[in-house]
Amino acid sequence: MSADTRYRGYDVLDKRDTPSWDAVTRAVIDERLTAADHLPQVATGAAWRVLRALCTCIVPQPADRPAVPLAALLDRRLAANRGDGFRDARLPPLREAWRIGLDALDAESRHGHGRGFADLDDEARIDLLHRVQHGACADPAWRGMPPALFFSHRVLPDLLSAYYAHPQAWSEIGFGGPANPRGYVRMVANRRDPWEPVEARPGEEARAYRENRRVR
Amino acid sequence: MGTHSGHGRLGAGVTAGVAGLALAAWLSGRRAARGTASTEPVRAARACHRSSALLAGSVLADSAMEHERGAYANPAMYVPPLMAALVLLAGAHGGGDARPQRHRVRHAVYGGAMATGVAGTGFHLYNILKRPGRWSWHNLFHAAPLGAPMALLLAGGLGLAAERVRHGRTRVPRLLGRPAGQALGLLVGAGLLGTTGEAALLHFRGAFQHRAMVLPVSLPPLAAAALLHAAVAPPTRRPLARWLLRLVRLLGWLGMAFHTRGIARRQGGWRNWSQNLFAGPPLPAPPSFSALAVAGLAALRLREKRA
Amino acid sequence: MCADARERPRGAHGRAPDVFRRGGWVPMREYDDRDAVDFAIVGTGAGGATLACRLAELGFRVVAFDAGAWWRPLEEFASDEEHQAKLYWTDDRLCDGADPVRLGSNNSGKAVGGSTVHFAMVSLRFRPEWFKARSQLGYGADWPLDWREMWRYYARVERALRIAGPVRYPWGPHRGRYPYRAHELNEAALVLARGAEALGIRWTPTPLATLSAPRGPAHPCVYRGFCVSGCATNAKQSALVTWIPRALAAGAEIRDLAMVGRVAVDGADRATGVEYLREGRWRFQRARNVVVAGYAVETPRLLLLSATGRHPQGLANSSGLLGRYFTVHANQAVWGTMDDEIRSYKGPPSLAITEHWNYADEGKDFFGGYCYMSQGPLPVVWAVTQGGRGLWGKPLRAEMQKYNHQAGLKIVGETLPQADNRVTLADTKDAYGLPVARVTHAYCDNDRRLIAHSMDFMSRALAAAGARDLWRETDDTCHMAGTARMGDDPHCSVVDADCRSWDIRNLWICDGSVFPTVGGVNPSLTIQALALRTADRIAALAGRGEL
Ligand SMILES: Cc1cc2nc3c(=O)[nH]c(=O)nc-3n(C[C@H](O)[C@H](O)[C@H](O)COP(=O)(O)OP(=O)(O)OC[C@H]3O[C@@H](n4cnc5c(N)ncnc54)[C@H](O)[C@@H]3O)c2cc1C
Ligand code: SF4
Repeated sequence: MSADTRYRGYDVLDKRDTPSWDAVTRAVIDERLTAADHLPQVATGAAWRVLRALCTCIVPQPADRPAVPLAALLDRRLAANRGDGFRDARLPPLREAWRIGLDALDAESRHGHGRGFADLDDEARIDLLHRVQHGACADPAWRGMPPALFFSHRVLPDLLSAYYAHPQAWSEIGFGGPANPRGYVRMVANRRDPWEPVEARPGEEARAYRENRRVR
Repeated sequence: MGTHSGHGRLGAGVTAGVAGLALAAWLSGRRAARGTASTEPVRAARACHRSSALLAGSVLADSAMEHERGAYANPAMYVPPLMAALVLLAGAHGGGDARPQRHRVRHAVYGGAMATGVAGTGFHLYNILKRPGRWSWHNLFHAAPLGAPMALLLAGGLGLAAERVRHGRTRVPRLLGRPAGQALGLLVGAGLLGTTGEAALLHFRGAFQHRAMVLPVSLPPLAAAALLHAAVAPPTRRPLARWLLRLVRLLGWLGMAFHTRGIARRQGGWRNWSQNLFAGPPLPAPPSFSALAVAGLAALRLREKRA
Repeated sequence: MCADARERPRGAHGRAPDVFRRGGWVPMREYDDRDAVDFAIVGTGAGGATLACRLAELGFRVVAFDAGAWWRPLEEFASDEEHQAKLYWTDDRLCDGADPVRLGSNNSGKAVGGSTVHFAMVSLRFRPEWFKARSQLGYGADWPLDWREMWRYYARVERALRIAGPVRYPWGPHRGRYPYRAHELNEAALVLARGAEALGIRWTPTPLATLSAPRGPAHPCVYRGFCVSGCATNAKQSALVTWIPRALAAGAEIRDLAMVGRVAVDGADRATGVEYLREGRWRFQRARNVVVAGYAVETPRLLLLSATGRHPQGLANSSGLLGRYFTVHANQAVWGTMDDEIRSYKGPPSLAITEHWNYADEGKDFFGGYCYMSQGPLPVVWAVTQGGRGLWGKPLRAEMQKYNHQAGLKIVGETLPQADNRVTLADTKDAYGLPVARVTHAYCDNDRRLIAHSMDFMSRALAAAGARDLWRETDDTCHMAGTARMGDDPHCSVVDADCRSWDIRNLWICDGSVFPTVGGVNPSLTIQALALRTADRIAALAGRGEL
């Protein structure tokens, strides 16, 4: 677990075989953890490279641990065509929006920097994304899709919901994780059940780490 | 605020509680005693010791678990389980002691328990009053329980009564300036009513969802009434009171069986003990009825002896 | 685990899933498609399931349809936000207008039990005056109902669902005691309580439709906090584990994975049955009465889809109001960071509430009211909320590190019914080949003033409770209503007080869409109370031979 978390040592997966997880949850999460082996099906070729670069900007991940395969998680969702039950009328359907959006990002990048989005450095990528977020771009590759809307209604919700549905993300933010049949008993401030993560207060990192290793 | 609980301490707390309760249960059933054949006051005193021990066992289990839930945030929270354990030991000792003298250490322990009970009631009251909602149903249900420290107070009180009764110089032992049977009957009667109050509060919280939940709020008050009546009315044989108290003694153990089943019925059942022992019906609570019934029966005997 | 509930119908061959036992079944009565049943009910949510149950108990022959699956919560509801999207209505819908709503997870369900399978269980009564909002408070429209009658039906629903509520409810006229006691508060709720006390207004533990003590085979709540992803313990008193089992026991048939595509009417303006798709085949169930209970988007959509030559604008639409007055609740929030560890993921999300601004009329520059509640977002919802603020990259990660310290207050705020907020049919088609709904929505100035008032007030409350770095979540909505409003004038409403269509007298609408106004409280208790009333009215009308 990396240094940018207050919950070092905590791994929600350690609880997999405790009463906090039931059979159906284990099956669901096991399946999610196979995403690392997923081969792109919808965002393929150039789009795949753009998507991966985009993911590193939206959710930068620490280098000292295996990364959550965010691009793969999104591509799996696109392959299954799992929508949200509503769509802003100005946006095309899920897959099409992503196809156009990734393509347009690359086009914007080539237009402005002469290189594909994946070949930009971090700063340039982030810069470009800020322009997209604020609707300050107009490459014909957007094909009428409002860039800002794509960013706020597709990029952010889709990527953030995929990342924070991953157990590694739960460990990072100190979320208790799955909780059935065992829920919680200690409900008031600053109390944790023994199966919840310990937050490291300044100066107590080592103790918190030790206790987190024991959380079950 | 760095206090956190771990599984180890959780297990230790629960184990201590369960062991204490088992010991107390064993004691309360034990009739044979060391030493010579006892006089009635000594027999009554020993019954009170056993009663106090059982009550203390219940308090020990309950406070060890509940204070563990509260992560022993305040060091004072260690005192009640400690005191309850001492009362349990004192009761074990006194329950087997046939000598008609008071015992200084036991006496001190009982006094300490009573003081702890009083202080605990204060702490718990403070806990209730500082929470949003202050004096409200909600805080009575879910903040620190008022009944718990009072049970320790009662356990100490019963122990002290035992010491006084066995120490009697006259043929008829006296307590607080009254005939001991009467005084003890009043104390136990009040204790029974208080305990009923707590059961009523918690079973109201549980919406009396099971029919059996009305038993501990109906039977003990009847027994208490009969006992109080026996205590103040002219001494005579009281078969009804005796039977009611015997039923209450049974009820305590029955209650524990019901609570065991209640825990099993919750999501995850006993496999999910680390949650359900806390969130389910409190296992150690019902035997406090048995404990009081034991002392009540002793009071009745003392009273009947005068007839 | 058994095969996926979405693969093939479970309510078939004389049996139905037993929601209380793993892999269990209970017997179910079945009716033939050609057998004209007394009632064909479309939708088995708060409205449809309640009505199906009561009508069956009153002796009617009932078949209820739901497009969604029939789950066994104990073994099929994972502790996982993403997976549990299987409970939501995720078929496409188009949203437009000046303030397009975000439907999906926060708005409607698709399962036997409807949205109640993943709702947040908040069970509130309307303020009495809201039933006469136009004549007594000067806005919106009057309901053709008397609050005292509704009060009796509320009490019946509360008993049926063993609502866990406070011993004394601080607002409104006297109500009987809630059947079960309120739940223990989590810290997020105590934050609300401290804020309210600091500002001198009342608060209370929220009345919730989740068990605080066992009930038959159902377990009490374990405070796992996944309520809006579906409750795996059966503590939540959803229609799936309350009205549906009762309906089965009383002889109703429930058909899962059965999408109704059209309500058929004859030349005499009588409904004759419903066309539905099940196991890949369109079929027709004959019925003497049809009830539509698909919630405020699907109900008008179905009636629009059922247009005929005699009813070119859709069924029950001679007033032209079908689909109009689509009304949501404003669902804005104020969030902040506390020094304490709050860990609001523990327990049901909304354990404490204040209805102060529903009942106070002084000091408002707007019509209507709002309540606000404590919150318990799980990581995915929380991250998407951060995205809604425009956060991503490093700032997002930093913000997410404060997850266990955040506390928030969120309103359920009344918006005013507006004719131009509406549901219509789009050109796009769904997987069944039916045109999808287009939902057009904009706030009016009154709505914006209400929202501004609430956010200012909640900011003060949260700050008073000790929160730092406050920020506002400005664009959420929840709950839907109004697209088939009830009234006592056929020109100004779609159904009458008995939820009976003015135009087609054996067509009924029994769900959130009949609300003329929405008040400042969550709707499900009112929907269920209305359904109980409708069942009683139907029995009375049948007794007089007036069906
Ligand atoms: C996340 C969330 C939290 C909520 N929290 C609360 C809360 O705390 N308190 C509260 O009071 N309310 C809450 N609600 C709202 C509440 O759940 C709904 O208002 C209520 O369930 C609506 O009842 P209904 O009968 O109108 O529709 P629903 O309960 O949505 O039922 C409609 C059913 O009809 C089915 N259906 C629709 N069209 C068709 C068709 N053509 N053929 C077959 N079947 C069809 C659908 O599949 C669905 O199952 C919440 C809702 C959500 C989504
Ligand atoms: S918190 Fe309670 S109601 Fe919510 S999902 Fe868990 S058990 Fe069910």
